[in-house]
Amino acid sequence: MWTFTVKRLLHLIPILLGVSLLTFLLMSLTPGDYFTELAQNPQISPQKLAELRAKAHLDRPWYVRYGYWLSNAVRLDFGYSIAYKIQASELIFSRLWNTFLLSLSASVLAWSIAVPLGIWAAVHKDSVADRACSLIAFAGLSIPEVLLALLALMFAASTHWFPVGGAQGATFDLLTPWEQFCDRAHHLVLPTLVLAASELAGIMRQMRSNLLDTLRAEFVTTARAKGLPEGWVIYKHAVRNAINPLLTMFGYSLAGLLSGAFIVENVMSWPGLGRLTMESLSKKDHELVVASVVMATALLVIGNFVADLLLAWSDPRIRLK
Amino acid sequence: MSSLPPQPSTPLSPWGLFWKRLRRHRTAVAGGILLIFLYGVSLLAGFVSPYRYDHLDKERSFHSPTPVRFSGFWPAVERFRKVSDPATYEAVAGDLKPLKFLVEGEDYTLFGLLHLKRHLFGTGDPDYPVYLLGADQFGRDILSRVLYGSQVSLSIGIIGITLSFSLGMLIGGISGYVGGTTDTLTMRACELIMSIPGLYLIMALRSVFPSSLSSTQVYLLIIVILSFIRWASSARVIRGMALSLRERQYVLAAKSLGQTPLRIVVRHILPGTFSYVIVAATLSIPYYILGEVVLSYLNVGIQEPEASWGLMLNAAQNYQYLQDYPWLLAPGGAIFVTVLAFNFLGDGLRDAADAKAG
Amino acid sequence: MSSASSPAPSNATSADATPPLLDIRDLRLDFMKDGRALRAVDGVSLRLGAGEALCLVGESGCGKSVTALSIARLVPSPPARYAGGEIRVNGSDVLKMSPRELRAIRGGVVSYIFQEPGSSLNPVFRVGAQILESLKLHRPEAANEEEVLRLLRLVGIPAPESRLRDYPHQLSGGMQQRIMIAMALASHPRLLVADEPTTALDVTIQAQIIELLRELRRQIQMSLLLITHNLGIVGDLADRVAVMYAGQIVELAPSHTLLSRPLHPYTRALMNSVPKLKGQVGRLSAIPGNVPNLGSFPEGCRFHPRCPQARPDCSTQSTQLLEVEPSHWVRCPYWST
Repeated sequence: MWTFTVKRLLHLIPILLGVSLLTFLLMSLTPGDYFTELAQNPQISPQKLAELRAKAHLDRPWYVRYGYWLSNAVRLDFGYSIAYKIQASELIFSRLWNTFLLSLSASVLAWSIAVPLGIWAAVHKDSVADRACSLIAFAGLSIPEVLLALLALMFAASTHWFPVGGAQGATFDLLTPWEQFCDRAHHLVLPTLVLAASELAGIMRQMRSNLLDTLRAEFVTTARAKGLPEGWVIYKHAVRNAINPLLTMFGYSLAGLLSGAFIVENVMSWPGLGRLTMESLSKKDHELVVASVVMATALLVIGNFVADLLLAWSDPRIRLK
Repeated sequence: MSSLPPQPSTPLSPWGLFWKRLRRHRTAVAGGILLIFLYGVSLLAGFVSPYRYDHLDKERSFHSPTPVRFSGFWPAVERFRKVSDPATYEAVAGDLKPLKFLVEGEDYTLFGLLHLKRHLFGTGDPDYPVYLLGADQFGRDILSRVLYGSQVSLSIGIIGITLSFSLGMLIGGISGYVGGTTDTLTMRACELIMSIPGLYLIMALRSVFPSSLSSTQVYLLIIVILSFIRWASSARVIRGMALSLRERQYVLAAKSLGQTPLRIVVRHILPGTFSYVIVAATLSIPYYILGEVVLSYLNVGIQEPEASWGLMLNAAQNYQYLQDYPWLLAPGGAIFVTVLAFNFLGDGLRDAADAKAG
Repeated sequence: MSSASSPAPSNATSADATPPLLDIRDLRLDFMKDGRALRAVDGVSLRLGAGEALCLVGESGCGKSVTALSIARLVPSPPARYAGGEIRVNGSDVLKMSPRELRAIRGGVVSYIFQEPGSSLNPVFRVGAQILESLKLHRPEAANEEEVLRLLRLVGIPAPESRLRDYPHQLSGGMQQRIMIAMALASHPRLLVADEPTTALDVTIQAQIIELLRELRRQIQMSLLLITHNLGIVGDLADRVAVMYAGQIVELAPSHTLLSRPLHPYTRALMNSVPKLKGQVGRLSAIPGNVPNLGSFPEGCRFHPRCPQARPDCSTQSTQLLEVEPSHWVRCPYWST
């Protein structure tokens, strides 16, 4: 188990290196930089501009800048953001936390509804309720997150039950810690619901079909032949096995979850990595873009790693290989 | 347990069996029929829509939808008058104008070559506009723009899967068949692409190109970017299939006949992956549709004045507008229906291709 | 279709005093497919006394497994549907039992072992726990580790203490099948149904498992219903043999009678397709054609399209299982005339 863990962890390093290199290369190919707009300003002399560029190392070739960037980034220091005029690390980590929070709460919500629902639908296969569930799941799979997020905003604006976008209220800094917590939670509700709704359908369908597959397995016949009550057969023997492929799916679905979070963040003004990526792209703070993409990737690959560990913990065939 | 499941009494060819199972799948059939309808309407968008996508009417900004009334048995629309500025409209009771069919209106081009003026329906009177789904900020008919926008959304998926699956099949097939360093390198590349959350990579790739491109250029660019990311996952699966297919007798036979690897991959390995490809491709069409929607919504996709569903939703991002003019969300409904139809069809195809689900 | 008369039990116990352990009467079972009922078991009648061993032989898809699984009503339904008949275990009809009564039969009276031990054991539970589960259900007073170890020793697992905490995938196929047998015996069943227990195993392991079953039968007073498509192992184990074809029993006889003098052409064909270790070196022949698909059984004798001795009227004359000599039942037009 330990060697498995260590091997999987070491595997993450080349991926993160590759992703940072790829993104850095892409960013160096984008037309213009942060100072392109300033160049339009006749008040700023070309010498001044060159000076500014040199100060931000923008006069160096991209691979040299990548070297600088990487040597700092391994110490989790993402330098100084020329667009935001603050330390980039501070910005990145607060945005990373927001994206993580949103994705985590949406996952927890989606999984805790979808798994029982999927089991229930499989056990009552072909009943009216099962068909209804499956139709609703199709609807959930097909509704675009952009639309769902817009509908949520519309709901918030017309009922005033929830804040319309954002992660914290205007008076956040004046609140007591408990009030701050409530304020954050209040802002988190709608984005979580939107993101969870789009995740839920897929997980439910997968759980249902896994369990149906498992119920056809021979060890289920064995369990019945022992004289176990049907409830035990399903919940102890079948569900326990049907969970394993779901853990694999959890790893795969993370990419979709983070893309979904990207959309929700941008439509509902949730200050996460996705929104930071869009903001820094439009401000042409390229190193900040690279940092955002690398952090989002880190979130994904670490999530995959956790899914692998969970699977190994749950499935002895993988753990003891 | 050897006698389960019962076998059909009349043997059918694999394709015959596939069709039989697909036809029995009610939702798949419904999805398929809906798609045929949507594609038909989309091809005839210029004719079906009462206006052109860029028909401006600043006097009728955010005009509310005009419901179809009946004057006797003949469908008609009411005249609306502006009650307040900005943009509240009220129907003038009893002031009806009958709808005309094949009415003469703005000229448009069908199939890129027919220049026509006749529209499926309209009033023929500019004082009685037909806004079945309302109008946007610039008084443009939302229905017409949804119809024109469908040309983007419905074609982008088809071209996208063609591109990404050809790429995925070729690269995955060769990688699996040849093995060795080629295989390792390709798979590492796939892994790299797949480990970046999709939209982050899409945005990074998009930013490499200038933001001021024509809509046609952006359209092509979106397809290329989305396909560039998508080929990786199909290549991985097809590589896995190629790995097992290359041990088959007929492949070994072709090899012993001295056929070139490329020919073996194209003629003998790839045909074995077709059923997977058809199902996976159908199920990944929504990815392209939604990809374009997000890019256009975030202002880095299709540009005004062209119509695209994502771009139209962008106009709805002001929640004040959303509350007052909810019909701005109509393109969202169009996306939903289209994606739903593809999911229904794809699900049926998967069940039909997978005998176990019988 | 209740044409089959009831074959008499082979042992001396008369049917009216104590009911036989297992008494299947005219069992008919359909699989529902596209709204059509496809008959898989058609009028099977069998009796099995206490301590008796019966072997059910036939090619794949002839209804052996479905018949055997029906004894504890383990055939999933739907798609299966019982169309008629009775399955009496200790005198009461399994097909009419409540779920609770059924659970007492499962394991308590009838235990099963299956063809693929690898997929018949639950992959995520330790083998010891799976055996213990059986004990808890049927013999809670003996649900402890010592009893599990005793069972593991009984089925010949070396160093059982170290195997207790293994997962199924850590064991070889032969060991897995021994675990299955231990699990089946844990509940002290009166009938062990072994559904092709050796088909998925290596040849040497096959012999060991058969030897184990024979040894267990000697030690424990237990009936055995062995399902196989291999007539080669029949003589070793069974008191009687029933041969099934296309959902029907076509021949039923004491095993030495059947092996020495098979009357049905299908039985003879089956025997010719088994390689013999001793005796004359003859030609090994495969039976031409395939078992007919469900729902398309031929008219008349169901074997006639593949039968080397078929006569013109075989395709029209309906066949009955008849006792052509004491305790030897055959369903063949030739023997009914």
